Amino acid sequence: MSTEFALAVSKLTKTFGTGDLAVAAVRSVDLDVAAGEVVLIMGPSGSGKTTLLLMLGGMLRPTAGSITVAGTDLAVTPERRLPQLRAQHFGFVFQDFNLLSALDALENVELASNLAGVHGAPAHRRGTELLERMGLVHRLHHRPDQLSGGEKQRVAMARALANDPPVILADEPTANLDSGMGREVARVLRSLADDDQRAVVIVSHDARLRDIADRVLWLEDGTFRELDAMAHDPICGMAVETTLDHPHLERDGTLWYFCSTGCRDEYDARPVAESTAPAPG
Amino acid sequence: MLGRVPFARRTLFAERRRAALAVAGVAVALLLVFILDGIFAGAIQQVTAYIRTSRADAIVSQQSVRTMHMSSSALPPSDVERVRGVAQVAWVAPIRYATGIVVTPTDRQLAYVIGYQPGRRGGPRSLVEGREPRDGEAVIDRVAARGLDVPLGGRVQILGRPFRVAGFSSGTTSITNTIAFITYRDFGRLRGSAVSYVLVGGRPGTSPRALRDTLAAALPDSTVQTRDEFVVREASIVRDMSADTMQIMTFVALVIALAVIALLLFTTTLAHLRDYGIVKAIGGSPAQLARSVLVQALWAVALALGFAVVLALGVAGLINRFSDNIAIVIEPSSVARVAVGASVVAVIGALLPVWRIARLDPAAAFRSAL
Ligand SMILES: Nc1ncnc2c1ncn2[C@@H]1O[C@H](COP(=O)(O)OP(=O)(O)OP(=O)(O)O)[C@@H](O)[C@H]1O
Ligand SMILES: [Mg+2]
Repeated sequence: MSTEFALAVSKLTKTFGTGDLAVAAVRSVDLDVAAGEVVLIMGPSGSGKTTLLLMLGGMLRPTAGSITVAGTDLAVTPERRLPQLRAQHFGFVFQDFNLLSALDALENVELASNLAGVHGAPAHRRGTELLERMGLVHRLHHRPDQLSGGEKQRVAMARALANDPPVILADEPTANLDSGMGREVARVLRSLADDDQRAVVIVSHDARLRDIADRVLWLEDGTFRELDAMAHDPICGMAVETTLDHPHLERDGTLWYFCSTGCRDEYDARPVAESTAPAPG
Repeated sequence: MLGRVPFARRTLFAERRRAALAVAGVAVALLLVFILDGIFAGAIQQVTAYIRTSRADAIVSQQSVRTMHMSSSALPPSDVERVRGVAQVAWVAPIRYATGIVVTPTDRQLAYVIGYQPGRRGGPRSLVEGREPRDGEAVIDRVAARGLDVPLGGRVQILGRPFRVAGFSSGTTSITNTIAFITYRDFGRLRGSAVSYVLVGGRPGTSPRALRDTLAAALPDSTVQTRDEFVVREASIVRDMSADTMQIMTFVALVIALAVIALLLFTTTLAHLRDYGIVKAIGGSPAQLARSVLVQALWAVALALGFAVVLALGVAGLINRFSDNIAIVIEPSSVARVAVGASVVAVIGALLPVWRIARLDPAAAFRSAL
């Protein structure tokens, strides 16, 4: 059943600590991602997004449940085999890029090929091609500290592709980028699904990423909630549950919901004509 | 590793100044070992110089006496004739030998005193000034003469009797002692008629070993050695005497090298902890990361070793040029030994960083604070 999906997650649970101090970060989550599909997981801070992503990527052992990638259940794979699985089946994109500071752009990408077992000229060629694809032909031998944020994230995406992985996992890939760069990164992530038929799972607060997602899931308190019942904070763009527990206010007959009182106050302070315009990107 | 991104080397040299300082520190520690080894090897060369340059194929000594250093040998004079009677023998040079002191009114110097027959073998290898001694005369080493402030024709006391200095030899003074040559006859008058050693040259075509065996058969109550055997024995006496000191000094130097390497690797590892976490996250195994640290350690040591060898050769060249009585010899075997020691040091120095990296959580790469 799970074989048709690039990534199949069943009843995934993670509890940190025990007894009174136990934190149920992720509770019995089910998720299937097909090749060529982009899934965006949103949710408030502390809702378990990163925890979920770490388990999907074989970096955190679940308390219960299964994660099936290429016929292997990561939840029960011995610790020593996990690095190799990560090197072969996943491409990771991080919030703060996480390039290796001592290596240049090309070497960063080549190293990922090396870890997946490809060395020498083939690794070099693949690295060059991927950086070309990211529009970084002129930055091959720049070190990370000589690159802009957007360039760094594109190098990171090239690195995530170095091992030709079926699954891309991205945690807040646009958080440290300005809107133009964010859009560019979003476009590339979409193309990884469309052109390469990879499964792309993105965890983010960034509502702009909704445009490229086939599915948007809302994680709150460690479980997925129905997103249709969500409103969008007109200031920051975040999805917010439409319950009156959340900060809200009424203007021109519409009820607006906000992620925080900060956003509400900012919205409240705006002149009426401006406030109904779309939130600035 | 061919065809792999040189992550280890890049990481090590990311902070050039730190790497350079550490490599220099290790190089100095290794240099210390080389110099110690070199002085030691030089001293052995000096101590064995007389026999090594004697051109004797075999040396006869009193039964079970195998060295000159720290020993005395007495053979009956009749042995000299018996040696001469052996067919393969080309030449025979009996010498008399004792440890003594060369004394001037103001100074003194420990010396091996050798009585030989002028005009025959067994005397000074090279006379740099003056001539061979006659009775009542001595040839002393030029360096020792300079130290004792004795001119050619000056007077010294040897074995308690005054001698006129007839010539200067060279290459027979070490940091601890020198050689004084007097005539065989004078030596006999002062210390009795016994012969100490008999230097023997073989006829062309006779191997030293064959000569040794024939002589040993002809002189069953004496000890016969080839020159090489004699030199090895002499060297091992010096080595045994100073082995402890050498080992302690070498150990201390290697510990210093270890401290510097460990510090370099640990600070470099800490500075790049985040990088290691990232490599772990994207699929680097603990073994691969451990190898990376080890490669860094070996790089540092290899560079330091290279520098240390070059420096040691330079220092040895300078000292040999400007010092008469200290000789430094950098032997390939010494380089090999230091290389092994330094590699061990590298591996030990890598342990702590490897352990630190092994504990690193790959998930940390997804959390901003590390
Ligand atoms: N190693 C840990 N030990 C204990 N609790 C943890 C650990 N990691 C995460 N948690 C807790 O699990 C919950 C989910 O954390 P997680 O980092 O997954 O949230 P998140 O949705 O990624 O938040 P953010 O949007 O701020 O990145 C939080 O309450 C967090 O405090
Ligand atoms: Mg997070």
